[in-house]
Amino acid sequence: MKAVVLDGLVLGLQFGLLGVGLTLVYGLGGVLNLAHGQLAVLGAMVVALRMDAGSPAVLAVLTGLAAAGAVGLLLDRTLLQAVYRRRGESRVLLGLLLMLGVAFMIEGFLVWRYPIESLRLRIGGDPVDILGVGMRTGSLLASAIAVGTGAALVVFFRLTPLGKAVRSVIQNEEGAQLCGVNPAMVRTLVLALSGVLAALVAITRSMTSPVPVDAGIDLTILALIVAVVGGLGSVSGAFLAGVLLGIVNTVSAHYIGTYVTTIVLLGAAAVTIVLRPSGLLGMGRE
Amino acid sequence: MAEATTTEQPELPATTRPVATVGKATGSVVRAYAPIAVVGVLAALLPLHYGDSRSMMRLIIGGVLFAAYVVGFNVIFGSTGQLFLCVGALAGLGGYASAILSDRSGLPVVLALLVAGGLAAVVGGLLSWIAVSRSLGVIFTGIVTLAFSLAFHNLLLGQRDLTRGETGLVVDAGSDSFLGERVPPYYALLALVLAYLVIHRALQRSRVGWAFRALRDDEIAAELTGVDVKLYRVLAGVLGSAMIGLAGALYAHTEGFISPSTYAFGEVDVRVLVMLAFGGIGSLLGPVIGSAAFTALDEWLASSNEYRLIIYGAVIVVLFLGFPQGVAPSVHALVQRLRRRTSGARRRN
Repeated sequence: MKAVVLDGLVLGLQFGLLGVGLTLVYGLGGVLNLAHGQLAVLGAMVVALRMDAGSPAVLAVLTGLAAAGAVGLLLDRTLLQAVYRRRGESRVLLGLLLMLGVAFMIEGFLVWRYPIESLRLRIGGDPVDILGVGMRTGSLLASAIAVGTGAALVVFFRLTPLGKAVRSVIQNEEGAQLCGVNPAMVRTLVLALSGVLAALVAITRSMTSPVPVDAGIDLTILALIVAVVGGLGSVSGAFLAGVLLGIVNTVSAHYIGTYVTTIVLLGAAAVTIVLRPSGLLGMGRE
Repeated sequence: MAEATTTEQPELPATTRPVATVGKATGSVVRAYAPIAVVGVLAALLPLHYGDSRSMMRLIIGGVLFAAYVVGFNVIFGSTGQLFLCVGALAGLGGYASAILSDRSGLPVVLALLVAGGLAAVVGGLLSWIAVSRSLGVIFTGIVTLAFSLAFHNLLLGQRDLTRGETGLVVDAGSDSFLGERVPPYYALLALVLAYLVIHRALQRSRVGWAFRALRDDEIAAELTGVDVKLYRVLAGVLGSAMIGLAGALYAHTEGFISPSTYAFGEVDVRVLVMLAFGGIGSLLGPVIGSAAFTALDEWLASSNEYRLIIYGAVIVVLFLGFPQGVAPSVHALVQRLRRRTSGARRRN
């Protein structure tokens, strides 16, 4: 049981990181990034291809992160400009549909060119004993990266001027503008950041299990569930929801079965929307 | 379309008022239903040309099936703006319910079909009711219905006793009766689509159609003029879901084999969305135009299966970015504008 919960925690931290990227983009511009998982896989595939080409792992990882960030930035500067020009429901709908199209384009391209590629980072070292459970080094490193990134994000959003600018745009775009914050700049920055975070999730995930080229849809759906349960637009909510759902996931998969687990997670998202649309830590903003 | 709400006078009988759909505004019954008759005649002649080729008939049957799905989705999404991302799941609910009821319980096929349609209507109505009563926006309606879709797919895979999981289910009932050969199934599905189109047209011309247009143009204004927005949304949800469920069920019997991938999100919902966007959201014949165009495209892309996904993605992006009203209506509007360049026919949205 203890081992299962610890495994769930490791998974949950990754879930959290996955949700954060999606939740930030939605909070800022009202764009539900349905290509989030595909961006993550894109980053992971760049890493895998660089490593196949003989590049050292660290360099390959950095290239992968940069590539996903660059695609995020590119999307913001091109397609999403048309979305930001709209207001209300029509902005939300257009953003959702465009990113769905982008998701297919990325996934279609990757599966077409590299149908059997997958990323698996092998982290050496003996299992480390934690609370009497032998944890693999890969899991620990992945969790450490997730916790470190989460802490860095919290510091960034609470303490730095730029982070505060981002939060101000999430809370009130016009008010932020009046205070001299440029929402367009903030959005571009956050889309790039979200791409990097997505790729980071896929890369840390590959430390415990392989990430195949067609994992994008599953990752997007997980990100969506986590972001919804945590409250769209809430960073700490995403992490809380991620950890909770990660533990629920492994416990349920271990004791009940995998197919029920997926239904449980989806049900969690649906129930959250129906009972408390603002999520666990949302700000009541729809 | 925005003018329709401001000039609305609920006392007038529907027929004396212009019908603001694609095409010229006219109250004449003949002119209102003529397009459906034309589509019916043209489609009925297709087997004469392609009837010899089994693969072509298969393709065309698929196209007609999707036309039925898209009409149902159009009633829900096009008329009342509810983003139902569970077309495949509703069709699958109908398909599996009808197959299991008729094969296992020995229910007559016609009865099983009706039960299947009713079941889909109940589930769709429930989803719609949840969305409306919790006033979920487009995004949350999309997520809830998507969650339902994926959960349903997992349920199909998991309940192996009932559904046989991935292996799929052979549907015996119906194959030996009136749905036996290859061409009759085509006519069965075609009749269904034509019936759906007639229902949709009748709706558009009735009080309900006015309510739909009013609440789509401006929800608050509609509410203020006395349109029960919630009621009409749920009504659209029930009716559209029944159409989708019945189509999925009929297909199960004509095809004789169903599997979870027959009704998977990626197989059904994505295509339905693209087809409707191409044909024109909310328009009567948009579903027909869209499904015909993409069935042809599928045939054309048959040899290049690998990058079909890229093309679909690109089409979604281009369509929603460049032709928010759909390609067919845009072309139509262009022709109209060229014909009479006098008045500045500005079309918002």
